[in-house]
Amino acid sequence: MKKIIVACGSGVATSQTVASKIDKLLKERNIRATVEAVDIKSLDTHIKTSAVYVAITKPQKEYPIPVVNGIAFLTGIGMEEELNKIIKAVQ
Amino acid sequence: MEVISSIFQFILDMGSSVFVPLILLIMGLIVRMKFKDAFTSALTLGVAFVGMNTVVNFMMSSIGPAAEQFVNNTGIQLNIMDGGWTSMSTLAWAWPLAFLMFPFQIGVNLLLLLTKQTDTLNVDLWNVWGKIFTAVLVIGVTGNTTLAFAVAIIQMFIELKIADVNQKQIEELTGIPGVTTTHSMNIIAVILYPFNRLMDFIPGLNKKIDANWLKDKIGVFAENHVMGFIIALLLGLVARYSVQESLILGVQGATALTLFPMVAKLFMQALAPISDATSEFMKKYSKGRSFYIGTDWPILAGCSEVWVTTIILVPITIILAILLPGNNILPFAGIINLSIAVPALLVTGGNLLRMLILGTLATPIFLYAATEFAPTITQLALDTKALDLASGQMLSWSTLEYPVFRYVFAHAANVINGEFIGLIAAVAWLGLFAWYMKGMRKRNEALEAKKEAA
Repeated sequence: MKKIIVACGSGVATSQTVASKIDKLLKERNIRATVEAVDIKSLDTHIKTSAVYVAITKPQKEYPIPVVNGIAFLTGIGMEEELNKIIKAVQ
Repeated sequence: MEVISSIFQFILDMGSSVFVPLILLIMGLIVRMKFKDAFTSALTLGVAFVGMNTVVNFMMSSIGPAAEQFVNNTGIQLNIMDGGWTSMSTLAWAWPLAFLMFPFQIGVNLLLLLTKQTDTLNVDLWNVWGKIFTAVLVIGVTGNTTLAFAVAIIQMFIELKIADVNQKQIEELTGIPGVTTTHSMNIIAVILYPFNRLMDFIPGLNKKIDANWLKDKIGVFAENHVMGFIIALLLGLVARYSVQESLILGVQGATALTLFPMVAKLFMQALAPISDATSEFMKKYSKGRSFYIGTDWPILAGCSEVWVTTIILVPITIILAILLPGNNILPFAGIINLSIAVPALLVTGGNLLRMLILGTLATPIFLYAATEFAPTITQLALDTKALDLASGQMLSWSTLEYPVFRYVFAHAANVINGEFIGLIAAVAWLGLFAWYMKGMRKRNEALEAKKEAA
């Protein structure tokens, strides 16, 4: 099963909120994937084993996997677009 | 009557691992969750409490004896354990009246939005724990629950105003429009602002340092397990443990700091459905109004200045903790001082040098506040039975957020017990707040002008 990672400052609250939201939305569409919240300091370690990175902060560099805008899941604005990008990356 | 009261007491006595999940289950059913989902969330919350307790006990039993040895060897009193914010949030959620803060938060926000007193819609329901914690600290000082809620409501008002006034600065730093942070840690900006203004007059403090380069060099130290290892190792060495024992302690320290956030995540997982339902509710009832979305602080986590500041402050915090007379807390789980780095980022507009100066100046305030609130926090742990402390063991948080506001207003509320100085301090604080708001508004005009000229 492909892995989706969400990163924020501590890997606890914000990233988990977004992760739970993505999890719920994927379940509603019957799509299987693991969604994990991590802290931004250990991002590089997790990138290697993930299919897509949902970013809460502006990415500072290029990553080998697709990067999606995580803020959309907090504000609701543009959420469908970003969700579709995630779905494409894990199928 | 007797029967009802004894049933209630029976449930309460089971403590936070059963009582609070039960409340969550009821709340989940009230917002129309399926029973299966509400049950899962509630059980996860129970797991979070017991899990957190396990990790705190582990930390205390490994770091505790070393800290004691250190005290015995040097006579330096650092016997308050630092449980960090994750332990504090555990205590906050375990307070029987904790969930009442949700309707208050929603109500205050919607009221202020509708009366145009704020432009921010706070969708960060996780940080309700901060207001719960403030309320609990007020009760610890005054013994009065009504005043505790009153102070919490004042805090909600101030958070929203500060969120409004920070939006432009946040947009400039992150490139994200329409978003701000309602995290209450930024309340300390009110105290930092005068110092920042002072620095405007000192030549040489307007330079911008390249934080990204610095972060690449020292970034590995900010990782939880590395930080935990180094601090615990050093503690072992100064406690005159053998090299073997110090290394073992190092790994235990790394374990504690790695496990804390992992278990804390369970709280969020449990609360996510309620938080989601509440956000949707808020958005529905504020339609037609354009507003900023108020989120948690990590939208700023991409700013390297924050991390460089927290890393450099670690040795400074430890040294100050040892040297400052009257400080009794051994900084550990709370040592990454985001509570000052993020507000400093916003107040200085991303000026790393100024952030480091403000951070160093503010560290003593945090250490003394932690020492001061330790008895209240320890009592809360014992009363809620959320965390099992060994007898005589004190708990606190070395980087307790917005310590000045909490201390001043808790003591202002203490006027009912005859204390007047707190009230005077609160009035002074409100004066500083007004000055801060005015100054930030001027800065926003300048930022807006810069944006339009670009």
